[in-house]
Amino acid sequence: MTKADYYCSVKLSRCRCCQSKFFNESIRMLRQPLTRALALKSPTRAAPLAARCQATQIQPQPDKVEVFIDDKPVYVLPGTTILQATAQAGVEIPRFCYHERLAVAGNCRMCLVEVEKSPKPAAACAMPVMKGMRVKTNSDLTRKAREGVMEFLLVNHPLDCPICDQGGECDLQDQSMAFGSDKSRFTDIHFSGKRAVEDKDVGPLIKTIMTRCIHCTRCIRFASEVAGVDDFGTTGRGTDMQVGTYVEKMFLSELSGNIIDLCPVGALTSKPYSFAARPWETRRIDSVDVLDPLGSNIVVTTRTNEVLRILPRTNEEINEEWLSDKSRFACDGLKRQRLVTPMLTDSRGNLTPVEWEDAIVAAARALRDCPPEKLLVVAGDMADAESLMALKDLANKLGSENVCTEQYFPLEGAGIDLRSSYLLNTKIANVEDADFVLLIGTNVRFEAPLLNARIRKAYVHKETDIALIGPQVDLTYDYLHVGESASIVKDLATGTSSHEVMKRLQQAKRPIVILGADQLKTPEGSALLAYTQELALKVQEKLADKEWKVLNVLQRTASQVAALDIGYKPGVGKLLQSGPKVVYLLGADNGVVSRDQLPKDAVVIYQGHHGDNGAAIADIVLPGAAYTEKRATYVNAEGRAQQTLVAVTPPGKAREDWKIIRALSEVVGERLPYDNLDEIRDRLSQVSPALVNYGNVQDNNYFAQARALAQSLQKPISGKMDVQLKQLEDYFMTDSISRASPTMAKCVQAVLKQKQSSY
Amino acid sequence: MLKAVSRAAGLAKTQLSKSLPALSTCSVRLQTCPPDPTCIKEAWKIENESIISMPDEQRQKNALESTITVPTKVDLTPVNGVPEEHIKTRRVRIYKPSKNAMQSGTNNIHHWEMEFDNRQRWENPLMGWTSTGDPLSNMKIQFSSPDEAIEHCEKNGWMWYIDEPKIEKSEKPKNYGLNFSWNRRTRVSTK
Repeated sequence: MTKADYYCSVKLSRCRCCQSKFFNESIRMLRQPLTRALALKSPTRAAPLAARCQATQIQPQPDKVEVFIDDKPVYVLPGTTILQATAQAGVEIPRFCYHERLAVAGNCRMCLVEVEKSPKPAAACAMPVMKGMRVKTNSDLTRKAREGVMEFLLVNHPLDCPICDQGGECDLQDQSMAFGSDKSRFTDIHFSGKRAVEDKDVGPLIKTIMTRCIHCTRCIRFASEVAGVDDFGTTGRGTDMQVGTYVEKMFLSELSGNIIDLCPVGALTSKPYSFAARPWETRRIDSVDVLDPLGSNIVVTTRTNEVLRILPRTNEEINEEWLSDKSRFACDGLKRQRLVTPMLTDSRGNLTPVEWEDAIVAAARALRDCPPEKLLVVAGDMADAESLMALKDLANKLGSENVCTEQYFPLEGAGIDLRSSYLLNTKIANVEDADFVLLIGTNVRFEAPLLNARIRKAYVHKETDIALIGPQVDLTYDYLHVGESASIVKDLATGTSSHEVMKRLQQAKRPIVILGADQLKTPEGSALLAYTQELALKVQEKLADKEWKVLNVLQRTASQVAALDIGYKPGVGKLLQSGPKVVYLLGADNGVVSRDQLPKDAVVIYQGHHGDNGAAIADIVLPGAAYTEKRATYVNAEGRAQQTLVAVTPPGKAREDWKIIRALSEVVGERLPYDNLDEIRDRLSQVSPALVNYGNVQDNNYFAQARALAQSLQKPISGKMDVQLKQLEDYFMTDSISRASPTMAKCVQAVLKQKQSSY
Repeated sequence: MLKAVSRAAGLAKTQLSKSLPALSTCSVRLQTCPPDPTCIKEAWKIENESIISMPDEQRQKNALESTITVPTKVDLTPVNGVPEEHIKTRRVRIYKPSKNAMQSGTNNIHHWEMEFDNRQRWENPLMGWTSTGDPLSNMKIQFSSPDEAIEHCEKNGWMWYIDEPKIEKSEKPKNYGLNFSWNRRTRVSTK
């Protein structure tokens, strides 16, 4: 609906009796004392005529306040700001400093609106509504105020839109077109000129052109509230005010890229994307990120079959509107180190490019000649559900059950039979409602940055307290460090501990326990999981809120949940020791399988998109598609299936992964019964309907059963817990895409350099 | 002629029965209606031709002017000439456009859109522009509701799926004072 349409509809929805201007005014003259007289007694009777006419559409609600936005009544919670109330009425007020996910700053003044009976315009973002308040969002006064603010902003803003990266998606451009003046009164070019500010260096991701800064302080608020790195601030006053870090230092955060989005002008832009494209010449494809286990929603921006940048896409249940730096900036890794053609090892052991036929025939021969128990399939970090399904079906048809993932999960007890034991059962969005969080052996900040942002949100806004068992790391918020030993979990679960954490867990109304999946790969993993289940369930049983789930296991990779759902065995351990003849690596790049663990004559088939650890040890390479190049299903740590969409086509001779496996099955002689994406998704839904229930997540149950099955596993544990990603420099390069990304390499370098600095 | 006039009068009566005040006299109207001059409607204008035309002429004219309601499902695929490849193998995604993370305006996202699956594009060596062999690559159609989009897709025989955005927020008042509250973590240190 355009704005004009909107106003039309407002007019039309008014009843006939108000349409006469004369009549309307006479009523208004009468009404004012009447409203005041009746206000205390009955709000419905005091409601003015315009409201009464619409009584059928909007019912007054007792706990809400009635306000009038352009004479249209809305009912909002007391304490709501004018800007929020107008948003409910469908009127958008221009703003620069206000952002709905950040604290109110109220310093840009762009949101000034006229409020009836108020002597001067009010800043809509900071002014709470009052009963019966009449706000005019399009009156002469409002428009004049906006024009004035625009003029002041533009006095000190450079006219460099043609060379500015924000051009075309700049709030200042948009709003000066809509609300600004058509002429300039700025003539001071000979005296002091426009304000000019030195650029800052805040790292390899964010380019700063501080002359363009309009001092909205969004970046400052993001850094201190969401990222939890309180480095940004302002220095100076008036014209001399500058936003920066005071002493030059890198913005050491895993969420730093978001300040590029937040900046309403071109002061903060993306360094890797600088001068690459204009927004109107690119295509935007909605997709899903696979570089961390959360499955953040993204928009992939492309031009000429090339991914230019990745932006976050709002999903309130997963990433809100943030995106972590690895997901955002590792996209240049999609263009480097790619496998673009099938390859076979020649007589000297070098991989040489061949045609698809040769590679497929070679792979098929290896598979056919291999005794079923000597075949090993290993799935990696970023394998999609379709290819996982096809490969498992193929292996099963060949008579092998040796399909496994790189990431380990204990199979004792309930193992992976109950979905609730390996998922983030609380769900990401509910984490912010928690009042106590116990983290066990996980550095959430780098394993799932946006989950950490949620925990931090709860910490800041809901006064949630956090405790950590495991190595002491910087989580960007204060937490109670209980210790590093796994035995603490045992003590808590068995009730022998009198630690403060136990009391807090029992007192909490909505506690959650998050266990890092990395801790489960040790021999004591199954006991640790059993104790965590015991502890979580003990707490959960006493809760008043019966729907609340306490137990969470945070997986490390995007493919793990789908693989476990489909029936892959977690971990290669024993299967690798049995001396496999053929190893089929489906994007397995984490170095779990290496040449020296395999027999001399073993054939390694690698299918994947990057020339990384897996391809290095392979005899046969089948080039697959990366997540931006296929329509594929990924299941995130909560168990929510989502699909990526094709943004670009795979490079060279690379093909979609499930199609490669389907073609291979034909040559092997064990034809897989699906020919297109719909059919393979039917097969997925046979295995688990949750795999094709896109966008939704199911509630998990059977906690008690999992606990009962785990009773016998509660053995003494004593090990110290350790996490893989401790510091920011560990975070950037963790998978084949980010390892191939020069931007991520620069980040690691810059962080290490910053660590040398005395600031 | 007389027959035609009486017929037209009858016609006029049935048409006008909905807006009764227009036929009533001024004095009656003033008593029943609120005293608002804008409420007063003028009488229906009856075309001279419709008065003098014969009944079957009138019926013919009405039939031509009115819309045709087709009770059954419409399938345009046999007549629209779209190659079968672009009907059978294409998937339509019906979605609500997402807000651009770089901008704060939302005026351009309050509708539903349909788009086809993305196919190969390449840089044309002549000018460096982007080329594609996909005739449907730019076919983005806007709808006011997903139902309309679905109807359109089914009419054209395309397979569709809906991507529903998860953008509902709980309504939570924001407060400027929280920046300065002395006992909460929302207190700001820097500015």
